[in-house]
Amino acid sequence: MLKIENMRFRYGKRAAPVLRGVSLELKAGEIGIVLGKNGSGKTTLFKNILGIVSPDSGTLEFNGADLTGMSPKERARSIAYVPQDIRFGALSVMNSVLLGRISYFGLRAGPEDYAAAERVLRDMGLEDFAHRNVEELSGGERQKIAIARALAQEPELMIFDEPTGNLDIANEHLILKEAKRLAREKNIGILSSLHDLNQAMDFGDRFFFMKEGVVKYSVTAEGMTEEVINDIFDTCVRIITVEGRRIVLNEALV
Amino acid sequence: MEKRLHTDYKKKISIIAFLGIAAALLSFFCLFAGSSHMSPGECLAALLQKSTAANNRIIWNIRIPRVLAALIAGAGLSVSGLIMQTNLNNPMASPSTLGVSNAAVFGANLSIIAFSGGFLSTGNNLTNYGAGANPYSASLMAFAFSVLSILLILALCRMRDFSPNVVVLAGIAVGSVWTAATTVLQFYATDVGLSAAVIWNFGDLGRATYRTNFIMLAAVVCGLFFFSLMSWKYNALLGGDAAARSMGVSVGPLRFFSMLFASVITAVCVSFLGIIGFVGIICPHVTKKLLGQDHRFGIPASALGGSLLLLAADTLSRSMGNGSALPVGAITSLLGAPFFLAIIFSGKENRRC
Repeated sequence: MLKIENMRFRYGKRAAPVLRGVSLELKAGEIGIVLGKNGSGKTTLFKNILGIVSPDSGTLEFNGADLTGMSPKERARSIAYVPQDIRFGALSVMNSVLLGRISYFGLRAGPEDYAAAERVLRDMGLEDFAHRNVEELSGGERQKIAIARALAQEPELMIFDEPTGNLDIANEHLILKEAKRLAREKNIGILSSLHDLNQAMDFGDRFFFMKEGVVKYSVTAEGMTEEVINDIFDTCVRIITVEGRRIVLNEALV
Repeated sequence: MEKRLHTDYKKKISIIAFLGIAAALLSFFCLFAGSSHMSPGECLAALLQKSTAANNRIIWNIRIPRVLAALIAGAGLSVSGLIMQTNLNNPMASPSTLGVSNAAVFGANLSIIAFSGGFLSTGNNLTNYGAGANPYSASLMAFAFSVLSILLILALCRMRDFSPNVVVLAGIAVGSVWTAATTVLQFYATDVGLSAAVIWNFGDLGRATYRTNFIMLAAVVCGLFFFSLMSWKYNALLGGDAAARSMGVSVGPLRFFSMLFASVITAVCVSFLGIIGFVGIICPHVTKKLLGQDHRFGIPASALGGSLLLLAADTLSRSMGNGSALPVGAITSLLGAPFFLAIIFSGKENRRC
């Protein structure tokens, strides 16, 4: 579905390159996790895929079509985004979810857009929230509304930038579980950055380890070895197996 | 779900309708206020062109244009403020963020001081009305410099993709250049020139004529039409540039045209009427408190709120001045600021949506 080859990018002509030839491939309905240190280029990679910035060179394909040539509207119907800092303004939940339909309705929301937004809210069990002010909701609830908005775009791919960044431990798990359920149900692919390696293993199908502006390793859960992790993060973590599940122990516990 | 939605919208529409009715009623009653001591009966007769020639003239050539100017400029300045605040993601943005007012003041000062534009009238002063050689030359220069300032800043900001902070800072920088240039100009001015220039700066609705009203109306109507069409996109913009872009909104062009229209509306109003501050800040914030940030309702509500505030301020300025009206720009702030503070500090933050 998403195929990136040798993509390079720098912010401004004199700046140091952030992406130095990224290549990765994500199949339809697959959940890909991008892992790497702060500053390894994860968010910049997402911005390029979303068209917020344009790559300097390399190819970016979506279902065989050139992504950089797509209009913002076309792109929004294929790829949705759940940003790290989620802001809405003083809008009702219903109106916030309807924003996901802009690429379909343009200037005025029609009955089918309201129907689509209601369907998403119902799927997520949020129909009682429809008339609440988004700004009054908790961080976890807002995160859900952001996911609902992304789903209203009826995308084939959703991009999550640190989806658990502002959540407590219980909500982290709930949000990821919910996102996974919805993605599987609707056969939507996800590309997400995550900090927690154990959560990543739980959530993802494929893992892209980034270092110094390239995807250095592209592996499945089995390929997530101590060597790979330690090379990427310059740490000395260990992986142990408890009750058949592999668990990454961070340095403090080793 | 549908039913709730319906009642939500109904409530908002009734608030907007209330503002509209209030503005209409106030406009009517404003026709009875003024310095000529006409009785309400005489005013009504003059309204029907059945009073003395002088009275007819007062109502039709002075009071009605003035009320219309308040309605039009109030709506324009208030909505421009709202659009600036949304597009620059900054609650302190005002219609003059792009240095429009500073540039207009410089243009008018240049015309009055250097080229003797001769605009010596305070507008509402009947004995002196029309004493200026050509009041249009000051307005024309003010408008020319405002547009120059807008284009300069927008061209500069294009290089940085209209990032909100860049726009605000560029506006401050360019605005301060105009202010400095004005100071230099005033330093070399004669006493008469200086006082004429300072008087021009005071916002005064008395300068309005049918022709200037028509020009302002055209700008405001075009702007309102465009802004209303973009309501959903502005709602998306509240979530930040990246999010809006990911929803399919072309953020750069939207911001460019929104700021251009908002600034041109401001430029037209300021050029004809002088500086009228605060309307563009207070009204959008009050409507946000009342109705939330949905621009489909925020735009009409801000427009009507602005009309209402400017009309009230002007009526007050005419009743207080004992013969000659106080500068309405001062009244909007005097009247608006305490009210604004009360609204900001009362109740909970942003309950409405």
